[in-house]
Amino acid sequence: MLEIEQRADGTLALAGRLDAAQAPKMQAALDALTGAARLDCARLEYVSSAGLGVLLKTQKRLGATGGVTLVNVNAHILDVFRYSGFDQIFRIEAAGA
Amino acid sequence: MFSAPGPLRSLYTAGLQGAERGMLEAKREVVPRTIGPEELTRVLDVTRKLAARFDLATMLTEVVRAAEAVIQAEGGSLWLYEKERNEVVMRVATGMEPLRMPADRGIVGECVRTRAIINVPDCYADPRFNQAIDKRSGFRTRCMLTLPLVGHDDTLVGVLQILNKRRGVFDAHDEQLAAALAAQCAVALQRVQMIEALVAGERLKQEIAVAREIQMGTLPSTMPTLPGYEVFGAVHPADETGGDTFDFTALPGDRLFVMMGDATGHGIGPALSVTQMQAMLRLAVRLDAGLDAAYRHVNNQLAHDLPPERFVTGFIGVLDARAHVLEFHAPGQGPILHFRAAAGAVDRGMPTTFPLGAFPIDQPKPSRKLQLAPGDVVALISDGIFEWPGPDGGEFGVERVEALLREHYRLPAAQLAALIHERARAFGAAQADDVTLVILHRLAADADADVAEAELPREFAALDAAVALVREFWQRHRLADADRFAVDFAIEELFTNMVKYGGGGTTRIRLRLTREPGAVAVLLVDPDSARFDPTAARPVDLAAPLEKRTPGRLGLPLIHKLVDDFAFDYAGRESRISFRKRTGST
Repeated sequence: MLEIEQRADGTLALAGRLDAAQAPKMQAALDALTGAARLDCARLEYVSSAGLGVLLKTQKRLGATGGVTLVNVNAHILDVFRYSGFDQIFRIEAAGA
Repeated sequence: MFSAPGPLRSLYTAGLQGAERGMLEAKREVVPRTIGPEELTRVLDVTRKLAARFDLATMLTEVVRAAEAVIQAEGGSLWLYEKERNEVVMRVATGMEPLRMPADRGIVGECVRTRAIINVPDCYADPRFNQAIDKRSGFRTRCMLTLPLVGHDDTLVGVLQILNKRRGVFDAHDEQLAAALAAQCAVALQRVQMIEALVAGERLKQEIAVAREIQMGTLPSTMPTLPGYEVFGAVHPADETGGDTFDFTALPGDRLFVMMGDATGHGIGPALSVTQMQAMLRLAVRLDAGLDAAYRHVNNQLAHDLPPERFVTGFIGVLDARAHVLEFHAPGQGPILHFRAAAGAVDRGMPTTFPLGAFPIDQPKPSRKLQLAPGDVVALISDGIFEWPGPDGGEFGVERVEALLREHYRLPAAQLAALIHERARAFGAAQADDVTLVILHRLAADADADVAEAELPREFAALDAAVALVREFWQRHRLADADRFAVDFAIEELFTNMVKYGGGGTTRIRLRLTREPGAVAVLLVDPDSARFDPTAARPVDLAAPLEKRTPGRLGLPLIHKLVDDFAFDYAGRESRISFRKRTGST
């Protein structure tokens, strides 16, 4: 399951797993954003490559206007980003940063 | 007069089952009238025809024709019911294009709802009648019999409309006859629909199988030889087709082009992505494009070709076996594990940049170089291993792979790769993602210290693996074949005893060969066994006459004769049996 909550400042707060099953839901939420995307991953447990694909697509779309920033990323997800080189594509702020 | 015999009566009764209820609901008076011989012939003819192996289109035509013939009508049409969309679709009406409409309209809609026969003697006087269809076809419908086609599992297959009785209007007898026919038609139609669905599924399966064959066919079928190195690669797809690949291409000057790729997801799309990447890189390398240029061009081509959410993590490198340098780009591929034999430690390298196809690039980031010392191993492993799901929600992880590298780096590359895959399999139930393992092993300068190992299940069939291990070991060390026989014999004898008399269960028997100066040391370990000392077995009088000799007692004494230093050790249910074979070089 993946829960997506939009806060007053526009940040999307994510909770649960961003996997192949949840990717379409995430895509729909990201497609609704313009300008820049800020994702609070404090309660996000897992990101699969399908999830990375959704983020990549959004980065391509919003790159010129601010791109995607991920905040409060847990150590495991940070590993996924680092092992796949995606830490070089997105602005990432680790948990507690 | 004709009195219906058994088969026809059952046909007739079966026909009524679907429509009977409808007729009762419509409070029609059922007029029993025996079926005449001509009608019987027509019904039987239709039944025979419907049993043939038609495709759906032919079957639809046949059903309508059958209805026209049996009921003596001028025309007919058949609506198939689609439950998901709650629509009816007409694929056949003499001389008409397919037509689709909501399943709650007009006379057909009423028939779908009530599943009752509807007999309309004068269509243009009935407000439910849709004149638009007549306008489209140019056919003028005078009277109409509408019947539900109910399948054997009581689901609605469609609605059959029989138009314009040749003489007069449809009567209760026609209704009976049509109901019998409708039941036959419904079952026949359902059968054809099921077969077509099965065939479509089968065709897709075959296409996927072909795609897999093509993709797996692009993988190297034999591993290249590189002086002082041993290299190995394997792909284990999770689905019928995988998104992983690897490649080796020999380059002049004892250099080897090494590539692996892992496309997002698995299935045909990713399989095509990695196959395309592999083909482009092969071409670039053959054209001597240079590492940076090959990487940049392939990245930019993939960025152009792939859908925006797709990417490929990859490793593109050249191993120089003279300089012992592995130079590479690792776009999105990590961790890159480098076991350093001298330190007994594993370095965890991160990707050099983001994945292939994510964005076009003008200038690639600089490549990275690894210096390989004797005994070093570089393991390129797709995330299918690291993220192999465990029983408790955990993953196999990088640490476990690193531990295996530290412990088993001396194993032949193929065995090391197999061991890592096997340990992941044992860790979690099912493989969730494609797995690719590429092992680059710089052989230790002191090749005499080399070791080969296998863990064998407790079954006689595992002997093949033991024999293969010995043969490979012998070839690698260029040992005399004559010495191998003795080792095979001793291993077979000891292993067979362990299978027969050991503790059973799932524990495995470990076999280890170690090259020593002038000898090969063999160790067999059974972790769960009763104490039995094969070296202490009573000698058999080999000189005894044939009638006094018993089979099966010869093995152990022969081992004493064939090999050296035959020894046994036992502690805590673990048996360790070892021997040496002195060897001459070829």
